[in-house]
Amino acid sequence: MFNTFRNIIKVFLREIKLVGTDHSLLLTLLLAPVFYAFFYGSIYKFKVEEKVLLAVADDDKSELSRTFVSELNKMQIASVVGATSLQDAKEKMYYGDCQGFLYIPSGLEKKVLGLQQADIVLAVNAARFLPSSELAGAVTTLALTVGAGVRLKYNEMQGYNTQMAMQETQPVNLDYRPVFNSRSSYGAFLLPGLLALILQQTLLIGLAESVALDKERGLIPSVIQLAGGSFSAALWGKGLFYLLLYGCYTLFFLNVNYSILEIPFRGHVGDVAFVFFLFFLTLIPLGVWLGTIIPNQLMAAQIMVFSTYPVFLIAGYAWPYEALPVFMQGLSSLIPTTPFMKVYISIVQMGGTLSDNVEAIIHLIMLCGLYALLAIWGIRRLNKNQQSLSL
Amino acid sequence: MIKTVFNITIREWKRILSRPQLYVVLLIVPPVICFLYGFIYEKEFARDLPVAIWDESNSPLSRQFTFMLEETESIHITRQVHSAVELKQLMERGEIQAGIHFPKRMDDDIKSRRTVYITLYTNTSMVVTGKLIYKDAAKVLITAGSGVILQKFVKTGMAEDKAMALVQPIRLTTYFLYNAQYNYMKYLVPGLIAMGLQMIILMVTVIVINEEEKDGTIGELKVMAKGAASNIMIGKGLAYLGASWLHYLLATCIVYPFFAQGQIGGSVSLFILFNLLIIACISIGMMISILVSDVMVACDLGVFYTSPAFVFSGFTFPRWGMPWYDQFYAWIMPFAPFVDGFFKVFFMELPLKYLHHEMGVLLLYTIIAFPIGLFVLQHKLNKLSLQHV
Repeated sequence: MFNTFRNIIKVFLREIKLVGTDHSLLLTLLLAPVFYAFFYGSIYKFKVEEKVLLAVADDDKSELSRTFVSELNKMQIASVVGATSLQDAKEKMYYGDCQGFLYIPSGLEKKVLGLQQADIVLAVNAARFLPSSELAGAVTTLALTVGAGVRLKYNEMQGYNTQMAMQETQPVNLDYRPVFNSRSSYGAFLLPGLLALILQQTLLIGLAESVALDKERGLIPSVIQLAGGSFSAALWGKGLFYLLLYGCYTLFFLNVNYSILEIPFRGHVGDVAFVFFLFFLTLIPLGVWLGTIIPNQLMAAQIMVFSTYPVFLIAGYAWPYEALPVFMQGLSSLIPTTPFMKVYISIVQMGGTLSDNVEAIIHLIMLCGLYALLAIWGIRRLNKNQQSLSL
Repeated sequence: MIKTVFNITIREWKRILSRPQLYVVLLIVPPVICFLYGFIYEKEFARDLPVAIWDESNSPLSRQFTFMLEETESIHITRQVHSAVELKQLMERGEIQAGIHFPKRMDDDIKSRRTVYITLYTNTSMVVTGKLIYKDAAKVLITAGSGVILQKFVKTGMAEDKAMALVQPIRLTTYFLYNAQYNYMKYLVPGLIAMGLQMIILMVTVIVINEEEKDGTIGELKVMAKGAASNIMIGKGLAYLGASWLHYLLATCIVYPFFAQGQIGGSVSLFILFNLLIIACISIGMMISILVSDVMVACDLGVFYTSPAFVFSGFTFPRWGMPWYDQFYAWIMPFAPFVDGFFKVFFMELPLKYLHHEMGVLLLYTIIAFPIGLFVLQHKLNKLSLQHV
């Protein structure tokens, strides 16, 4: 037992030396996580997009239409750009000077005052998801508010007192309560997952590169020798360095980045620490196994970099797991990100606990076992091949 | 000169087909990522998301509202709950994505002119599903509320058109142009694939010159290029431009039409824009490859430079919502102006006259990167001649 521990430490110290002397590993493991965390994080600093440009072509030019446009301009989401005509508004959208246009035909005020329904037209560029849906929501709310105002005035004219007139104006109301992300902001949704993904990808790229480098140099037998002939000691000796380094990063991100980016933390620290520990224990054998099957260090970096977006998209975070095709669900279940994100987001964003996520934790433990076996098998195979080559 | 350039292009293709670090990235990765992205969004929308009903009213109206909610695309009523605590617990466990509460005596309150509030709770830690459910639920509940108002006016003997004018004095007609159904596949797949393809070109071109230095074949290349750096850069560049045309065919003839309802073969405008992006990527990649002799460091620089492209391009989160320094960083990458142009040619199907700005900016990357690379490479070749002498 003591010998195994000593061997693990030997491999661990060797890994520190290896990382310290390789520029690429230094960049990937020491610079990239911090750089990416601050850089990517800062994109969503404001969390929601504001003042989306909307062209308005007002052919009515009445007091009501001017009030409508002025109220629209006061909304946080919209910023009005004047257009001389409907065609001008369209051209502005085509050139990318605005994300949609509102057309107010002549006769709006006259119709409203004459208790006739008046029409206005909103066209938004739905090729851009976020701004168009926010704009449409804002203009709909404004049109409904103006409608409620007209009814209120009508009810008052019918002789109701203010309170009764108000009740008659809108008898059924929608009370919308977004839970766990009160502003429904894209930034608050994406940032916790993004920070975890940065940790995952840099760890996997770095570790796969390190193993591929040893493989390229024919050094696998010497690592096994250092580990006292034990494949698992070699695996966990290499992995210990990454476990400690990424443990430190996690601590740093959860304290510094969460605080700078004002990300709410609703769960218990112990629960998050446990799930990250388990996550890294799963990622380490996965990274080692990938390193054993990729031919060299260069290709490890080249191939792994293309995995970032697909992994993020199939992990059930950006796109619901249930909405994936069945074979993609199978693939998604094989990556540690899927169960990890479920537990991590439940704890951090929703204030959940480990006991709320038992299934996902068991899933993660099973993946840890699977990848540990694959990693040991990969090291063993490499050791055999390189030993026979040296003979 | 043309023959020299042609020979270098052929030599580069031979290198591409014989070196795994080139053919894996250039020829195997593209179909893999294209089909992977296509299949992720195969279902196009997130449908039938689990929603709970907390019905304290238990009335004909609440049952009618529940029925209308169930009829929508995103909502699927899976549970009945009896308290806010139960609702929250189910959300925490991920068993439901939203909950709708009908208050006690809802029907009576409506009849006796007391304002009623129907509460919609959505789990917005998952913003995509939260917004989809809100959009559908709000539509149903606003329509239902308007129906209640309309009935009240009609009951007083008011003509239906006049009652309608009071219910909705300003009728807003909204057109969601270019992606009316907010189809995720149509929206995300083309952008993700374009990002992947430019990344592929950049990741291989960052190692095309320094690998020759590392392998000691730069001398042979110099002889073949008759000492001219321009021949090397153009010859090698043409090989990668040719490879990118294969990617273009894969994307526009198979993946876009099959997965994203795109036109077969794209359009002339799209082809021109794509070429400008690829030429910019080749110029930048080769410049890095010439300036950084260490292949691994050059590869890492390629990773750092190109992997944030999608997020910074404004494809999902608009650039104007980012702090100024991130907006500046976005402009360092050619993918940002490409995305602006891509929205216009691919989704909006606009002619090239609306793309002058984006095309001009894309050209700038080549105008800056190519001469820098050319100057340094020529200097290196000259030095090599001196050493040889």
